[in-house]
Amino acid sequence: MPEIQEPIRQLTAVLSAGQSRNPEKRELEQGIADCLANLPGVKVVCVPHLYDLARDGEVYRKLKEIDSDIVLFSWLYDRAAHWILDRNGIRGQQGEVYLKLDGDDEQDEELDKELDSSNQADDERVIASQPRPARMIYSIDLRTSTQVQDYVQEVARIQQLASDQSLAGGGPSMAESHSLPKFMPETLQRFVTPTNDSYVGAQSGAEMENANHKNTLFGASSVLTITEHATRRWYPVIDFSRCTNCMECIDFCLFGVYGVDTVDTILVEQPDNCRKGCPACSRVCPQNAIIFPQHKTPAIAGAPVDSSGLKIDLSKLFGAPESDEDPAAVAARERDEQLILAGRAPVESHSDLSDRLAQSAATKKKPDELDSLLDELDSLDL
Amino acid sequence: MSAELVFMMGEYQAVFPVDRQYAKNHMWASREPSGSWRFGFSAYAVRLLQDVYFLDLTIEPGMELSERQEIGSIESKKAESSLYSPIAGRVSDLNRQLLEDPSMINVDKYGRGWLFEINGDESPLLSSNDYLQHLSAAWQVAQRTIKGQANA
Repeated sequence: MPEIQEPIRQLTAVLSAGQSRNPEKRELEQGIADCLANLPGVKVVCVPHLYDLARDGEVYRKLKEIDSDIVLFSWLYDRAAHWILDRNGIRGQQGEVYLKLDGDDEQDEELDKELDSSNQADDERVIASQPRPARMIYSIDLRTSTQVQDYVQEVARIQQLASDQSLAGGGPSMAESHSLPKFMPETLQRFVTPTNDSYVGAQSGAEMENANHKNTLFGASSVLTITEHATRRWYPVIDFSRCTNCMECIDFCLFGVYGVDTVDTILVEQPDNCRKGCPACSRVCPQNAIIFPQHKTPAIAGAPVDSSGLKIDLSKLFGAPESDEDPAAVAARERDEQLILAGRAPVESHSDLSDRLAQSAATKKKPDELDSLLDELDSLDL
Repeated sequence: MSAELVFMMGEYQAVFPVDRQYAKNHMWASREPSGSWRFGFSAYAVRLLQDVYFLDLTIEPGMELSERQEIGSIESKKAESSLYSPIAGRVSDLNRQLLEDPSMINVDKYGRGWLFEINGDESPLLSSNDYLQHLSAAWQVAQRTIKGQANA
């Protein structure tokens, strides 16, 4: 009984190691793991670089056993890391993280939200029809800070947030300021004053679930290190909060990377068919929903800034010179290079693609002048 | 090992075997029986890099490269840099073990620390003597660059 009333919410910190052997990076990873392991209610799972791991491997099998909220640390942009987990079956809502790379300030976010909502009417995102579970996943980029303390404070903040939420009893304060999952009042009631101590169904962090963790995944320790051999991989990761299932990527890629699931939703079906270094499909995606987490161009690797076709690039208005090639032409060229390399005939023309994109832009509803202005600016990028 | 040349980088003796050619971007090149050129970092490059922590090569055997095409990146104790192809030609092999653990670049730079093999146009390659000439000019620039960045 007293244990169950412990108000601290269970969090699992998943630490994805970098590919680099840089001792400073290793030290940061280790420091975070050590400090978090001492926080009450926090379990730590240390794993190899998530992107390289096989979906049916040991790491993802174990991570699927976690049902608490997750704080995910990786040397990747937060979006990239979130959707890597998602494609491997570890799903949840994108939690808001305060500790971010420079440049992703609040103004950007406001703009993103505005544009998101203005676009959402036209194109339904995949997650609208396939909602992810209410469990929160907070993704943190380890390039944000070199100080262990910054990360520990952020985890403490998230934990506090989650505890407030689960104990608020439907109170208005948290619900208004954060888009956290809503709990049924009876679930909260059972959490605060449990009547049946065998109850394990609630998502709200009932202590019985934690007990399960201790027994199955972690044993007596609060740190679990899972090792798995992995070789360097290269494949696209889809951000389904942006993807509208338009199928441009499956039409464009001639290497059989993409497929559809049983309800005709796009998926990266054969990731290892992808051509190393080639990011072409991400350039043709009208929503910039395709991430290559290891690409050196931040926008393609899932960076928070300049990453979105939804965001207006005003540089041309301010006199930036036209680049040599537009993204569709670059994509077509990159695809041709890979076709030749694979001993196949290049396609050369990208006119079919441009036509289709131009057509879809033309038939789009334009509710007001601002929207059409945005569309025009967007189409400059094509 | 056969004869070698030495270039002084401050107090440090950078050693260059004369049994092979060199590329201006500080890679050695040695002709394999297959006719391909095998490339690795020269002592000059390794001295500037120091401990290598991460190597990424975005090339695969069969790929046609132009000279100075970007082929990957490297992270070390002292630097992060993109890497560029020393010559034009077709990639014939990669040292994949370095992707797992790049430390062989430091341990055995002229042997097991080789990077990749290219079958192609060797005309940009220099003899060891000419490379040393190239180095004396490059070293002046490198010192200025390092000091400039350190004081920035």
